[in-house]
Amino acid sequence: MNSGDTAFMLVATAMVMLMTPGLALFYGGLVRSKNVLSVTMQSFFCLGIISILWVAYGYSLAFGPDIGGFIGGLDYVGLKGVGLGIGPYSDTIPDLLFCAFQLMFAIITPALITGAYAERMKFTAFVLFTISWSTLVYLPVCHWVWGGGWLGELGTLDFAGGTVIHINSGAAALVACIVLGRRKGWGREAMHPHNLPMTILGAGVLWFGWFGFNAGSALSAGPIAVLALFTTQVATGAGALSWVLAEWKVQGKPTTLGAASGAVAGLVGITPGAGFVGPLSAILIGLVAGALCYFAVLMKSRLGYDDALDVVGVHGVGGLWGALATGLFASVAWNPDGADGLFFGNAHQLVIQAIGAGAAIVYSMVLTFLILKAIDAIIGLRVDLEDEVQGLDVTDHKEVGYSL
Amino acid sequence: MINGADTAFILAAAGLVLLMTPGLALFYAGMVRSKNVLGTIMQSLIMISIISIEWVYIGYSMSFGPDVGGFVGDLSWFALKGVTNAPSSDYATTIPQTLFMIYQCMFAVITPALITGAFAERVRFAPFALFSLLWALLVYNPVCHWIWGGGWMSVLEVPVLDFAGGLVVHVTCGAAALATILVIGPRRGYGRDSFMPHNLPMTMLGTGLLWFGWFGFNGGSALAANSVAVTAFVATHLAGMAGMAMWTLMEWWKLGKPTTLGAASGAIAGLATITPAAGFVGPNAAIAIGLIAGIVCFTAVNMKSRLGYDDSLDVVGIHGVGGAVGTLLLGVFASKVVNPGGVDGLLAGSSSQLVSQLLGVVVVGVYAFVVSWILVKILHSTIGMRLVEESEIQGMDYTEHSEAAYN
Repeated sequence: MNSGDTAFMLVATAMVMLMTPGLALFYGGLVRSKNVLSVTMQSFFCLGIISILWVAYGYSLAFGPDIGGFIGGLDYVGLKGVGLGIGPYSDTIPDLLFCAFQLMFAIITPALITGAYAERMKFTAFVLFTISWSTLVYLPVCHWVWGGGWLGELGTLDFAGGTVIHINSGAAALVACIVLGRRKGWGREAMHPHNLPMTILGAGVLWFGWFGFNAGSALSAGPIAVLALFTTQVATGAGALSWVLAEWKVQGKPTTLGAASGAVAGLVGITPGAGFVGPLSAILIGLVAGALCYFAVLMKSRLGYDDALDVVGVHGVGGLWGALATGLFASVAWNPDGADGLFFGNAHQLVIQAIGAGAAIVYSMVLTFLILKAIDAIIGLRVDLEDEVQGLDVTDHKEVGYSL
Repeated sequence: MINGADTAFILAAAGLVLLMTPGLALFYAGMVRSKNVLGTIMQSLIMISIISIEWVYIGYSMSFGPDVGGFVGDLSWFALKGVTNAPSSDYATTIPQTLFMIYQCMFAVITPALITGAFAERVRFAPFALFSLLWALLVYNPVCHWIWGGGWMSVLEVPVLDFAGGLVVHVTCGAAALATILVIGPRRGYGRDSFMPHNLPMTMLGTGLLWFGWFGFNGGSALAANSVAVTAFVATHLAGMAGMAMWTLMEWWKLGKPTTLGAASGAIAGLATITPAAGFVGPNAAIAIGLIAGIVCFTAVNMKSRLGYDDSLDVVGIHGVGGAVGTLLLGVFASKVVNPGGVDGLLAGSSSQLVSQLLGVVVVGVYAFVVSWILVKILHSTIGMRLVEESEIQGMDYTEHSEAAYN
């Protein structure tokens, strides 16, 4: 047990928790004012639902003793045996702290998906979807990569959740927005963000929390945490810069929304490689992430799916790029416990990264589709047309965001 | 002997607790009408100035200085005399005493700020500031001393326990909230006009910041980066989320819809309720405490309109009731298996702790209520606490601060 590591991980865990309220602001500002509370509520409610699920069986399925490489066993149900001593995942912090840190990741992942189906999903359907998706998709994929499952065994590198969180949520988001269909009036009416300063505040809070997310994933206050913190910062700056430059060139003006989106794209892009790549590689990863995600988001209107708040373009595409980029730029010179990527003479790592990403994409898309179809058949996914027009704040929550 | 890791942790925790007061300002401000948003923010924010000064000169010494008759600390640490970067021999022995002092300062700051939610939208700024200063001297500092500073409650045969401020912070502010609104009376139009929150996204932001800061509040109260801090941290999160889930379900069932304001209120109820018990209970007990908080505080808040007092932002129902319930539940759920340095509660076969906890709730509740009532009564009948009618109608942002929040 090391009190320095414990201190660091306590703070990092709190920071990752703050990302979910930050996400609520980021998304809340992007929707129309009649839906601001419904979007906020979805993120906050993930804090409630997933925490219970995690204690009841989630931690066990994700991190319990491996069963066939696919899922964890039920040994830790109700956190049985997860105590204040050393656990299987760290020698220097209490087992329960590792469990809490991982909980915060499990919370934000389904919250990320909500951006895709924003402004049109029933609250009850959202609750059912979140429980089912976390159980059937998040927990297995988390186990595959981090809990001793088959992707981890294969050697897939995912420092802080590029595959587990971003590819996973991005793939689910694509299916969700296609199954739910477009918002009424999409492509015809303008759907401007109602409060961009709120979105910028959310982006700032996310950026801050992401230091806990990435640096904390080192699980100790040592050199790898420093590397992850540094790469996170420079990749994010690079992502914001390249998104803004791309939109300036293509659409004529640099926007605050572009800066915020580019920062998040950079953060997503560096997440899987944060503790495996050097600072210069991180800048390249961020630069590519910003521009790539910008063009992915632009494609949306041409492809015709209504990914309301660009979860696919930013998290899906950014996560995929990050996973592959880790296979390009990883270097044992920076992290001896990692691996070398293609640019350091190990093409095999890129193949492994592609397998990990591909497996997560296919699995997440198929399961998400089945879950949504099932819920649609039972209670219906979408709100009534009148409710959609009136706004979900009033119809689903009997509140209004503002009465200025 | 100073420990670098403990010092790093409590430095971060003190920063987190400081952030709770601006967080509270946002939480409260979103719930008032737009004409009172700045006045409400100001009441929380100015506490950082007033109470920090009070704390450095008098408060820390009254709370933690050498004991006088079990009731209060003496003034021998006036202006931090003798308080240095060497660790104290009595408190937090692995971090500099100045760090312990400033960490505790953040608690002293937020407590009177919490009270302001009760009398929001109707009190003049100057009398409010005077009330808060006197309240810190007469209520906060003594109660803090009784429990944390070596006072009488901490030297009972079975000492009253309060891990992070269920009694010191939440019961005191809840009791004071009730006393002040009984003296000051309701807002004009209360029960007749609608008092819609003017900016719920702002309240949700405040909720997020409070939740985040609460990890420093409760986790940091272990005063070291050790397994007790982890216990408290995990219990805090689990009770907060269980409170949120349960409150939302209750209102969904009773009132028809799950609201964001309900989710926010439930989260704060769970967090307030776990505060006294955080370092003494395990994860499953923490969830139970949060669920109970969601039910009890929801019910308490909904009693308000029947009892007819105008606790504008529900300080009594959430902090008062939550703090009291959590203090008692410590006596039920505490377990030495979880915290070997703690105690066993009722479920572990010992009833004596519950008796002490009950004593703590009653004495602190009555003391805080009576002293607050006398204090606010004197101020109200001499200089007057309330805004004049026109000012209340026009809004305190303009009349008290010559500003407008939005243009």
